[in-house]
Amino acid sequence: MSAVAEQQTRVPSPTAGASAAPVQQQTVNRRRPEQGSRQEWIVVHVLYLIIVIFFFAPFLWLLTAAFDGDAVAYIRWPAQPTFANFTYVYQNFHIGRALANSLFISTATMLLSVVLVSLAAYSLSRLEFGLKSVVTYGVLVLQTMPLSATMVPIYGLARDLHLRNTYLGLILVHSAIEMPFLIWLMKGFFDTIPRYLEEAAWLDGRSKFRAWWEVVMPVARPGIVVIAGFAFLNAWSEVLMVIILVDDPGKSTVPLAFYQTFRSNGGYNEVNYGLVAAVGVIYVLPVIALFFSLRKMMVRGLMSTSRGL
Amino acid sequence: MATMTPGRGLIAWRRNRSLIGGLLPAASLLSLFFVAPAIWAIYTSFTNRALVGLDARHPRHVGWANYERLLHSPAFKTVLINSLVFVVGSAVIGQFLLGLALALLLDHGEHRGYRATPFVYGSVLLAWVNPTVIAGFLWVAMFDFYYGSLNKTLELFGLSGVSWLGKAPMLSLIIVNTWRGAAFVMIIFQGALRTIPSQIYEAARMDGASAWQRFWDHTLPNLRQVAAVVLLSVTISTFGAFLLILTLTNGGPGTKTEVIALYAYHAAFQSRQIGYGSAIAAVMLGLNLIFAAIYLRVSSPKI
Amino acid sequence: MAEIQFEHVVKQFPRQASPAVNDLSFTVNDGELLILLGPSGCGKTTALRMIAGLEEPDSGDIRIDGQSVVGMAPKDRDIALVFQQYALYPHLSARNNLLYPLKIQKISKQERQHRIDQTAELLKISHLLDRKPNQLSGGEQQRVALGRAIVRQPRVFLMDEPLSNLDAKLRTHMRTEIKTLQQELRATMAFVTHDQAEAMTMADRIAVMNGGRLQQLATPDEMYKFPANLFVAEFLGSPPMNILPVRQMDGHLSVPGGWSIPEPSRTKAPAELLLGIRPESIRVVAAGTPGAAPASVIVSEPLGSEVIVNVNLGETMVRVRTPPDVRPRPGEIVHLQPDLDGVRLFDKESGANLRS
Repeated sequence: MSAVAEQQTRVPSPTAGASAAPVQQQTVNRRRPEQGSRQEWIVVHVLYLIIVIFFFAPFLWLLTAAFDGDAVAYIRWPAQPTFANFTYVYQNFHIGRALANSLFISTATMLLSVVLVSLAAYSLSRLEFGLKSVVTYGVLVLQTMPLSATMVPIYGLARDLHLRNTYLGLILVHSAIEMPFLIWLMKGFFDTIPRYLEEAAWLDGRSKFRAWWEVVMPVARPGIVVIAGFAFLNAWSEVLMVIILVDDPGKSTVPLAFYQTFRSNGGYNEVNYGLVAAVGVIYVLPVIALFFSLRKMMVRGLMSTSRGL
Repeated sequence: MATMTPGRGLIAWRRNRSLIGGLLPAASLLSLFFVAPAIWAIYTSFTNRALVGLDARHPRHVGWANYERLLHSPAFKTVLINSLVFVVGSAVIGQFLLGLALALLLDHGEHRGYRATPFVYGSVLLAWVNPTVIAGFLWVAMFDFYYGSLNKTLELFGLSGVSWLGKAPMLSLIIVNTWRGAAFVMIIFQGALRTIPSQIYEAARMDGASAWQRFWDHTLPNLRQVAAVVLLSVTISTFGAFLLILTLTNGGPGTKTEVIALYAYHAAFQSRQIGYGSAIAAVMLGLNLIFAAIYLRVSSPKI
Repeated sequence: MAEIQFEHVVKQFPRQASPAVNDLSFTVNDGELLILLGPSGCGKTTALRMIAGLEEPDSGDIRIDGQSVVGMAPKDRDIALVFQQYALYPHLSARNNLLYPLKIQKISKQERQHRIDQTAELLKISHLLDRKPNQLSGGEQQRVALGRAIVRQPRVFLMDEPLSNLDAKLRTHMRTEIKTLQQELRATMAFVTHDQAEAMTMADRIAVMNGGRLQQLATPDEMYKFPANLFVAEFLGSPPMNILPVRQMDGHLSVPGGWSIPEPSRTKAPAELLLGIRPESIRVVAAGTPGAAPASVIVSEPLGSEVIVNVNLGETMVRVRTPPDVRPRPGEIVHLQPDLDGVRLFDKESGANLRS
């Protein structure tokens, strides 16, 4: 482009020596690696290896033991690779029943939680100032209450209300325990939804409730998925409350079955690792599957709580 | 923020009516299972109620007797110390430091684009996400004296096995709890690290700061706020730890790992003394309230 | 102070279709304020970051003061960079922000204090020094960012769109301030912006870039009057240069709408041409004036000191600058006469300017 060359003002560079190479020649690049050295790569990956071993080893054992007819307490390739543990457990430990119960309770809890939490979280998010801070602090305080402190009273309460060994009791309790956390999470989510959506609906004559249902909730769908995921996961995993509330084997859940498998009858000396591991796998699998499919959303939700601080 | 002007009294009540209505269902459930039990615990702690026997039928009001018993009980002192050691060891030191280290390492790995990073991340999360009793069971196997993976590995190196749950129960518990909870701390710190704009680091590079100086002068100070909150958070959750310890040691051997939650449980369900157990629970709730107040003050969350 | 030289620099980012910087060569003279101007993505920021050392070229050379800096760490280059978002250290006070580079370089306490006082006075931020960045307004933050660069007394200043985050009024004010500062310090400055008005008012010379390539390097005046190609012609000037199609007839060029331009002397005869003429080079005249063509008015935009009249000439919309009292209404017919000195011709294919 001759026009360009013409316009370019060129000042003779006052260089001597090294850089006196003719301008047309391309200079060889002394490029520093922008991406860290070889050594650093090795160090980081060694650390990675150690971390993975530390965190994953127990699960490796779970997998190898569950599929081993002659399971031992240490990690090794199964001596007798088999599905026998699973079939045995299914037939003798009433796992089928427990699975059905767990599924039912977890799903019901998930549904109940989603409804109650969205209602409460939205209301909290849009509440006017004075009352709002009181309720918010209340929710936060509830979140810090340890289950281990309330389990004794809940036992007494459930007994008096005849909620022990009932599906209703289990569903209510499972919903209640995660609720403060879920409300807090969902409230944060609603806070990010701009008010003009519902305001437009109000101007159109909708009641607050309809506006919420028709306009805000669809936008909040990703948050709801996260809440539902957490609710289901926690309900499925919950064992403490089940221990307190259930002694009827017909109402047993997978977590309880698992717990009783290895901790009943005074100790764990005579446990058949393979069998317990099999129950463990049944217990853990849905949790892991669900969590890892929803992982990104959940972690983002959790991270955002740190940003709100 | 609110587009309506905050009002007083009746007008505010009218406007917020439907919102308060939205809160009611959740509030009733929470009252039933959080507030009512707390009140029940406090009330019962003033009685000598029991699970069986005479006192089950007609519990008597005994005033502060349970609390006095608690204060003078040497077992309780042991329990408090155990709880303290456990919380400091596994939360303050273990989970916090390990979580921080993991966050820094993985953040660094992410920036360098190391493809192994998500897998490491996943394995750390796995330890956190799995149910507590599973974790307990897994580590019971790991700690097994004759056949556990840990001792088997030690044998490989020619070292003798350790009686983890027998001779070093508290240490073992701390290891497991750290293993469990580091992920939470890691996630929070990762979130905080991501909020530091990369331009800050570039500016520091331009100003002449070395990699270490950039970390010390810019990464750490910006993590300070989050650190305080996270620390309190893990302290609070570890304080109420119950299931993990129940599964691994059940407070033993003897009372070496009896923490406060277990003490309440044993009193209520093994000794059958619900009144006494409730007193312990009430103390727990009280301590927790104090922690929660500090937490709220420090974190000043977005209302 | 020092001069900067780019020589056939190429930089391509992975997963991008074309190079961010493609065979870029230019020089920033000692003590001059050179502005790298262009639309987003044209490569100007990448070029700046390569001077800073935050990116490295794939090939080609970059020299400061005659010495190649390729491969050299940023801190060894003795340059300062002012970021678009200021990048002030949020946990440090303004004073400590200014102190930081000096501490790293281990400058004596006395000298540090002296430089900070001097710089703070220069930028009028002495009263703000104990505040944290989040307690400062945008303009104040920007001055602190400038200060952090100045205290280092570097041989070269780099600025990456430092004024983009300021409101219009503050921006024009800071333009003058920065220019004055640069002249006072006699600093060599490379400044990146996408705002052509900014470039015109501040630069000693402008380097226009597009698609990673240098389009033209010249003083603002020269560039405005003699743009090297269509891109530069349309980029500079507000409202932009009018571009009209032309047909070549024998002896003259005909613009649809009625203008007739005498054919200029050329060495080559390109196939198709475009005519460029700036709004101020068109005059509204009385009907019947030789060389004038009729055009229908679309709308007049009065700006106080002048009026921009949008008209339809032929089928092209053309903008004309008129004195404040000339304000034809929509639908009126006005007669436009081109100032032949202001006519530029461009090759339709390559966009290059043919001498008019």
